[in-house]
Amino acid sequence: MAMLEIRGIHKSFGDAHILNGVDLSVNKGDVVAILGPSGSGKTTLLRCINYLETADQGTMQFKDETYDLSDTDHKRIAQFRRHTGFVFQNYNLFINKTALENVTLGLMTAGKMPKKQAEQIGMELLEKVGMKDRASYYPSQLSGGQQQRVAIARALAGNPEIIFFDEPTSALDPELIGEVLGVMKKLAEEGMTMIVVTHEMGFARNVSNHVIFMEHGVIVEEGDAHAFFENPKNERTREFLRMEER
Amino acid sequence: MIDWNEVIALAMESFPKMFMAGITATIPLALVSFVLAMIIAVACAMVQYARIPVIRRIVQFYIWVFRGTPMLVQLFIMYFGMQSIGIRISAVTAAIIVFSLNTGAYCAETVRGSIEGVSKGQFEAGYCSGMNYMQIMFHVVLPQAFRTAFPSLFNNLISLVKDTSLAANITVVEMFMTTERIAGRTYRFMQLYLEVALVYLIFCTILTWVQSWGEKKLSYYDVKKV
Repeated sequence: MAMLEIRGIHKSFGDAHILNGVDLSVNKGDVVAILGPSGSGKTTLLRCINYLETADQGTMQFKDETYDLSDTDHKRIAQFRRHTGFVFQNYNLFINKTALENVTLGLMTAGKMPKKQAEQIGMELLEKVGMKDRASYYPSQLSGGQQQRVAIARALAGNPEIIFFDEPTSALDPELIGEVLGVMKKLAEEGMTMIVVTHEMGFARNVSNHVIFMEHGVIVEEGDAHAFFENPKNERTREFLRMEER
Repeated sequence: MIDWNEVIALAMESFPKMFMAGITATIPLALVSFVLAMIIAVACAMVQYARIPVIRRIVQFYIWVFRGTPMLVQLFIMYFGMQSIGIRISAVTAAIIVFSLNTGAYCAETVRGSIEGVSKGQFEAGYCSGMNYMQIMFHVVLPQAFRTAFPSLFNNLISLVKDTSLAANITVVEMFMTTERIAGRTYRFMQLYLEVALVYLIFCTILTWVQSWGEKKLSYYDVKKV
C-alpha cells in the first residue's frame, strides 16, 4: 500500500489555475523526481502537500489518516508536518541562529526536548551532512551549498518519514550543486522517502526511482525512472528532455 | 560684569544636585517608561501584524490618539484632569503612564514595520520544523525584527530622556524641576538652564555610545568568521 496517496489537488491563484487535478502515489522508500518547465505547478504541488499553500480541493492519505488539503486547522496541519521535512530552494535557514541551533530549535521548542539531547542529535545530523565543523557558524558565514546541507540536517531533525525538496539546488552556484546532491543521494540510499522537485536531470535519472513530468498543472507522464528517460511516451516529455539535455 | 567666583560657586552647588536628580529621577523615569513602552509596542505590533480583528482597531485608535496629541497635554489630562474628576494618581505614576503609552505608540509602528521586514520564508521554515506561530515569533522573527528596529527604538529612548523634563509641569521632581528650584532661589536663569542643558547633553551622548555598542553587538549573526 502506498505511504502517501494524493487525490485531485486543485489550486488557483486568482484567475491562474496552477494545479488542475493532480494525483500522486508514493511508496515507502521511493525517491520521486518531479520535472517540468517553470510555471508547470510542480513547486505549488509540493507546497500544497505540506500545507504551505492551502489547496482549493484535494485529499491525502498518509499513515492510515485522511487529510483534507483545503483544511486550515492548525492541529491537523501540525500533525501531518510532524512526519515530514521540507527543504526550500533558498534554504530559509533561521538567520539569527547558528547551524546547530537551526537543527535543534524545532526539537527544543516544538518537541520539548532537553537542550543536551537536542544538541547531540543536532551534531549527529550535522556530521551526516558534513557540516559538523561549522556547527557554530551563522548562515551568513556559510556558502549556499553549506547552508542547504544544514537545511537538510534541519529537515531530518524531526525524524521524518518523508522529505520534500523544492528545487534544492536551483539557487546554487554550479560548483556547489554536487555537495548537496551528494547528501541527497546518501539519504536515498539509506531508504529515505523523498519527493524532489528538480531541474537536475542527472539526479532524476540516477537517484530517483520514479519520475513525474508536469505541465500546465497536470501530470503529463510518469513512470519508472529508467523507462521515463529511455523511452518517454508523450511527445511533450520527449521535447522537454531534448531541451534539458542539450 | 560677571563675577566668576559666584558663577563657579553656583556651579559647584548646582551641578551635583542636577546630576543626582538626573540619576535618581530622570534616568529611572525614562528607563521604567521605556521598558513598559517596549512591552506595549511589541504587543501592539503583533496584534497589527496578525491582523486580529477588533483588537487591531483598538490598537490603531490608541496609536492615532497618542501620536496625534501633544505629550504635555496628555500629562495634564492624566494628572490635573484626573484629579479634577476625583481620580488621584501620583505625579510620578501619571508621568510613567503617559511616557510609556506615548513612546509605546511610536515604537509599535517601528516594531510592526520590522516584523513585516522579516522574510516569510522564516515562518515557513519554522512551521516545517514543527514550530507554532508563537514559537516562531519569539525565537526567530522578533529577534530579527528587534535588530532592524534597534536604532530607531533607541532614538525614541533618547527622545524620552529629554522629554521627561515635561514631567516638571505636573510637579514631578526630576532634573529640570530641580534646576527650576535652584533658579527660583538664585535668579541665575541663564547659567542654570545652560548647565541643565549640558547635563542632558552628557546623558544623551553616553546613550549614543551605548547605541553604537548595541548595534555592533546585535549584528553578531552577520559578521564574517575569520
